[in-house]
Amino acid sequence: MEHQAAAGHHEEHPPTTIKQYVMIGVLLTLITLVELWLSYSGLAHALMISLLLILSGVKFVIVVAMFMHLRFDSPLFRRLFTFGFLLAASIMVALLALFWNDHTDIVGGLPEGAESTQGESH
Amino acid sequence: MAAATHEVEHHTSTGVDNRKLLMWIFLASECLFFGTLISTYLIFRGQSLVGPLPDDVLDIPLTSLSTFVLLMSSLSMVLAVYGAQHGRLGLMKGMLLATILLGLVFLGFQVYEFRHFGHLGLNLTTNQFGASFFVLTGFHGVHVGVGVLYLISLLIGAGRRNGIGRERALWVDSAGLYWHFVDIVWIVIFTIIYLIPQ
Amino acid sequence: MAAAVGNPGYPQGHSGIWAWMTTVDHKKIAALYGVTAFIFFMLGGLQALLVRTQLATPNGTVIDADLYNQLFTTHALTMIFLAIMPLTVSFFNYFIPLQIGARDVAFPRLNALSYWIFVAGGVMLTGSFFLGGAPDGGWFGYAPLSAEQFSPGRNMDFYVVSLLVLGVSSLLGSLNFAVTIINMRAPGMSMMRLPVFIWMTLVVAFLLILSLPVLTVGLIQLYFDRNFGTNFFTPDTGGDPILWQHIFWIFGHPEVYVLILPSMGIVSEVLPVMSRKPLFGYAAIVFAGAAIGVLGFGVWSHHMFTTGLGTVPQVVFSASTMAIGIPTGIKIFNWLGTMYGGNIRFTTAMYFAVSFIALFSIGGISGVMHASPPVDAQHQDSYFVVAHLHYVLFGGAIMGIFAGIFYWFPKITGRFLDETLGKISFWVMFIGMNATFFPMHFLGVSGMPRRIYTYQEGMGWETWNMVATIGAYGIAFGVLLFVINFFMTMRKLATAPPDPWGGATLEWATTSPPPEHNFDVIPEVRDRDPLWYNRDHNIAAPERPEHMHIHLPPPSYYPLIVASGMALLGVGLLAHLAVSVFGALVMIYGTWGWALEPTE
Repeated sequence: MEHQAAAGHHEEHPPTTIKQYVMIGVLLTLITLVELWLSYSGLAHALMISLLLILSGVKFVIVVAMFMHLRFDSPLFRRLFTFGFLLAASIMVALLALFWNDHTDIVGGLPEGAESTQGESH
Repeated sequence: MAAATHEVEHHTSTGVDNRKLLMWIFLASECLFFGTLISTYLIFRGQSLVGPLPDDVLDIPLTSLSTFVLLMSSLSMVLAVYGAQHGRLGLMKGMLLATILLGLVFLGFQVYEFRHFGHLGLNLTTNQFGASFFVLTGFHGVHVGVGVLYLISLLIGAGRRNGIGRERALWVDSAGLYWHFVDIVWIVIFTIIYLIPQ
Repeated sequence: MAAAVGNPGYPQGHSGIWAWMTTVDHKKIAALYGVTAFIFFMLGGLQALLVRTQLATPNGTVIDADLYNQLFTTHALTMIFLAIMPLTVSFFNYFIPLQIGARDVAFPRLNALSYWIFVAGGVMLTGSFFLGGAPDGGWFGYAPLSAEQFSPGRNMDFYVVSLLVLGVSSLLGSLNFAVTIINMRAPGMSMMRLPVFIWMTLVVAFLLILSLPVLTVGLIQLYFDRNFGTNFFTPDTGGDPILWQHIFWIFGHPEVYVLILPSMGIVSEVLPVMSRKPLFGYAAIVFAGAAIGVLGFGVWSHHMFTTGLGTVPQVVFSASTMAIGIPTGIKIFNWLGTMYGGNIRFTTAMYFAVSFIALFSIGGISGVMHASPPVDAQHQDSYFVVAHLHYVLFGGAIMGIFAGIFYWFPKITGRFLDETLGKISFWVMFIGMNATFFPMHFLGVSGMPRRIYTYQEGMGWETWNMVATIGAYGIAFGVLLFVINFFMTMRKLATAPPDPWGGATLEWATTSPPPEHNFDVIPEVRDRDPLWYNRDHNIAAPERPEHMHIHLPPPSYYPLIVASGMALLGVGLLAHLAVSVFGALVMIYGTWGWALEPTE
């Protein structure tokens, strides 16, 4: 914990120490290893995909909060970045919903098992 | 009077540095850039008419290694920022160099991967998977490449004038934000393309 | 070269061409933007005149179908990307620092870079006419029409590359403006004291920052489809042309608000001053603007109702589109409320501002009609849509811009545009505009499709097409009168006082035209209408200091170098990739020089 902050330095530093940074790096590596194991684990797909998404979300948040020190920085940055991220995420979700529920481009009728919700011929 | 004008030049309305603000807004914009590319990839999942398909070509252990490399580059980057903020120039330069090298190793992995896929018969024109995969990971690679150039300029700047002035920390800090962002994009890409089974 | 400004008589030097090319002064860059964009505006008008001349009579033979396609496409692209957007950017550049009480934008060199990249993109887009053919697939570039199979020439590559280049320019400019507004405000200028024009600018900046990357991705994919054999948008190999439409309109709809919000901001400045009354409902108008910005991202599919979205998406996008009419309506009532009971001065600026409200309302109301999918199915691709969008873009955006030009001209040049000639040009433009675009409603309802290069007689379209064409020449004559007014005025003496209209905002606190450093003393802001507050509370303007040592950023030629690298990169995408590599190297060289250039 040596603080050799040069005189006249009034910027606030994130309080994280080198040791803590290294520990965060180790943690990120461990999460990646768990993810790797998960993808070979043969769990049910729904469960596996949710776990994978949650874990990479955790990694994402750790990097943004600690490495990009958003946790210690101005709330303005947090709001701006969160807004962009949420907007991107919402547009992605909307787009995927539009395309994955699209039965209009399936040539030659719906695939077997797909429920026919487009009941035009009642 | 000089004092009043100086106040305006060196202090901002919100108290945050202009460059960092610019970088954060730019990163918000980049979210939309990669969001659209990833959406395209997901929309074209299962839409390929011919192979090779993801399961035929993706080498997850190898990519896990390159993911690890990029994660470590984020660690070295944050240590470089630490060095700059605490006036430890040696640490800063060493860690910048390490970040540059790790970034180059990551790019090397990507070049190898692209060539390998080419040998397996997958390229841009093969199918929807090839097109959306190469464009998405390719543009991520371009971002890593730009980041490497960015860091090289910082390193040269640090060497040329024995540090890049008293605003050193802010320059390295902003570069770090960019670098970490490129890393978190890869975290998402790695999960979506590689880890989640088809 | 720190321009230390000494005693009275601001040095008016720096006028040679090199000074203009290396300037980083926001006011000079604004002038460059304004003049360049106005030239493009007239060029876009010329393209429209050719289109209207061709359509004046049935079986027109003025131009052939191929040229017609190029003209209607480049008319749209020119007006949107090379005229309205840069004209508003010119106002942003000039008035953001002046209205928030700053000496310049946050990144002066980045500002110059935006301008030079814009010039490169504009020249590329316009030059395509002489280099094998201009874009001819509509400004929306719908796949698969824009794909290689149906557009084998270079035309649509010019579209892709020039829009990519212009996108970089807009992105850099918007980042700069956003940071400037958030971070460079004068003491006391809180966010809720910002002039409405600045608020609208901030919303526009964020709209562009968040929507341009989406277009960039779409354009890259289209470029890959056309040049590297991918199949993102080609249906027969697994691609999806509808994906292009989604990507394009996720950008394209926020873009619509990018075009109109600045004019809403300008009108919100002109109306209170010309009514001698504070803006009615400041907070409402600000939040309405922000709401338009946010909602603007959730309505894109209303451009695609006829593509077979399915019931649920149609309902959702129909509802969100109707919802966006609410904040827009709020603003209209704010403006009316501002004028109500005011002591109105009928200046030319006021004429344009009031006509903005009326014409924009007409366009807005026909817009809400399209929000209903069954109605939209009838209007889709008919002249009704052309009428709607021109009421919003000409009646709205352009009228607002002219209001701004007449309002701020004395501040920018120190000279008053001739009011009589100004009013004549207003009436000519106003009547011409309505004669051109109102009949298009009738044409659309009677079934005339958009983008046809000619039509048979006996369809019942002859009369209104002729009227529309005559109206178009009327608009052109009105614009010509304005240009004459401009040149006449520039020959007069600069006599404008600092505050000729009795304005409320900070730009009127400094001389006309402002000195290079904008303010001798950075003003202190105590109210939303700072000058009126000071007037009413007998607060004298701060005294001019004896000695001023104001540090202004020195001129730089690196923006020009980086921009030429960018231009080469674009040219390379059209010609040979080796040129692109060279362009990238030039950019890297320029950026390094930029970074190491001393600015102190």
